[in-house]
Amino acid sequence: MTKKQDQTASFMVRFNQRIFEENGESKLQWRGKISHVQDGEEKRFSDFNDALTFMQQKLGELTEEATKHQTSEEQESIIQKSFSMWKTIKEIGPKVIRDTLKDPKKQFTHLQDEIQDKISTFGEEFSEKVQIDQWRNASRSDFNKIQNQIESLSSEITKLAAKIDTIKTK
Amino acid sequence: MSNALQQLQELQAFQKDAQISIETLGHFCVWRNHEKIDSKEWARDKTIQLLQYLVSNRKRNALHKEKIMDGLWEDWNDRDFKVALHGINKVLEPKRLSRTESEYIIRQGVSYQIDLEKVWIDVEALEKYIIIGNEAFTIDNNIAKIAYKAAIDLYKGSYLPNRIFEDWTSEEREKTQLLILGAYITLAEILLQENPLESIRLAQNALAIDATWEDAYRIQMQAYILKGNRPQAIKTYMKCEVILEEEYGISPLPETKKLLKEIEEIH
Repeated sequence: MTKKQDQTASFMVRFNQRIFEENGESKLQWRGKISHVQDGEEKRFSDFNDALTFMQQKLGELTEEATKHQTSEEQESIIQKSFSMWKTIKEIGPKVIRDTLKDPKKQFTHLQDEIQDKISTFGEEFSEKVQIDQWRNASRSDFNKIQNQIESLSSEITKLAAKIDTIKTK
Repeated sequence: MSNALQQLQELQAFQKDAQISIETLGHFCVWRNHEKIDSKEWARDKTIQLLQYLVSNRKRNALHKEKIMDGLWEDWNDRDFKVALHGINKVLEPKRLSRTESEYIIRQGVSYQIDLEKVWIDVEALEKYIIIGNEAFTIDNNIAKIAYKAAIDLYKGSYLPNRIFEDWTSEEREKTQLLILGAYITLAEILLQENPLESIRLAQNALAIDATWEDAYRIQMQAYILKGNRPQAIKTYMKCEVILEEEYGISPLPETKKLLKEIEEIH
């Protein structure tokens, strides 16, 4: 069984705000740093999408490592599921940050609801995944059964063909 | 005597007199009655982990033992916790009578926390020195200087460096790093006119923690100009420009560019 630690990725994200005047206009710049705790790797970003890509890459590696003993087909399917979650987060992520900056209190409550929703949704998806696996195992055993039946049928046909040949020669 | 000065003196006295002192910055070390505790006394790593976890979560109210074990260990049982806690108490109070309450680890039912009134911890003291420095800044810069210097003296490296891959240490490490970056920069600013060389050194220490900390480059540029070293001031700007481009793909702030322009106009 994979250990809990091997199934966990923690990230520390630092945002540094810079407000300045340029050409008579007030501007704001965000500088950030994201660290992956378990391997110590860091990435700096001025575009939040780069931070999300970094997280996606680290989580992808985690999934890949945890599924390395499974067939490539199964591994591919799980990684695809992991990526589909990230597609959603990448789409809503920057908007969430923008809204949080505008109204942190309101957004915090909203964020809690969103997270709860996502957990339920992905929880369901992963349960579905288990069912698909069970179905896949059953299908494989059915396939083996059919293969055995075909082999025994082929053997019977060969025997019958041999008998017909013998009768013809008589 | 001002309130800030009194706080500063109390903090310094506590650092000197505490019976138990814990150092977590740059290395982990515990002192009992002013004597360094030998690492062999801990016997098990889980004992050290538990103490470090209590240090990391010292600001939270007493932590339930199951929450502590969940945060620390993969597979745990009550015995692990009991043995580790007994280990801490044995090391901190070797002469404690059995069945008596620990003096340094406060217990409330099955929740535990470190007694910050009795145990001196470097990260806790560092934060308090910085708070005093920030409060005294601009009101009494002499006190601010002493407080920031005391905080900087305590910073011997990152928080629990041998546990950098443990997520329960990350929050404290990040917080302390930001506090010390702020202390380096503010003290460098205070000292700029009277001691530009020290400002350069402090800014360099900030850059050693975070090479993209733009304020530090600006202070160095100003300090080099005060020392009459125009080429080095320009070189510092170039370094800043390169690192910001490499790490963020951005150029320095208008404030930094303006400073460069002023430096270039000096003949």
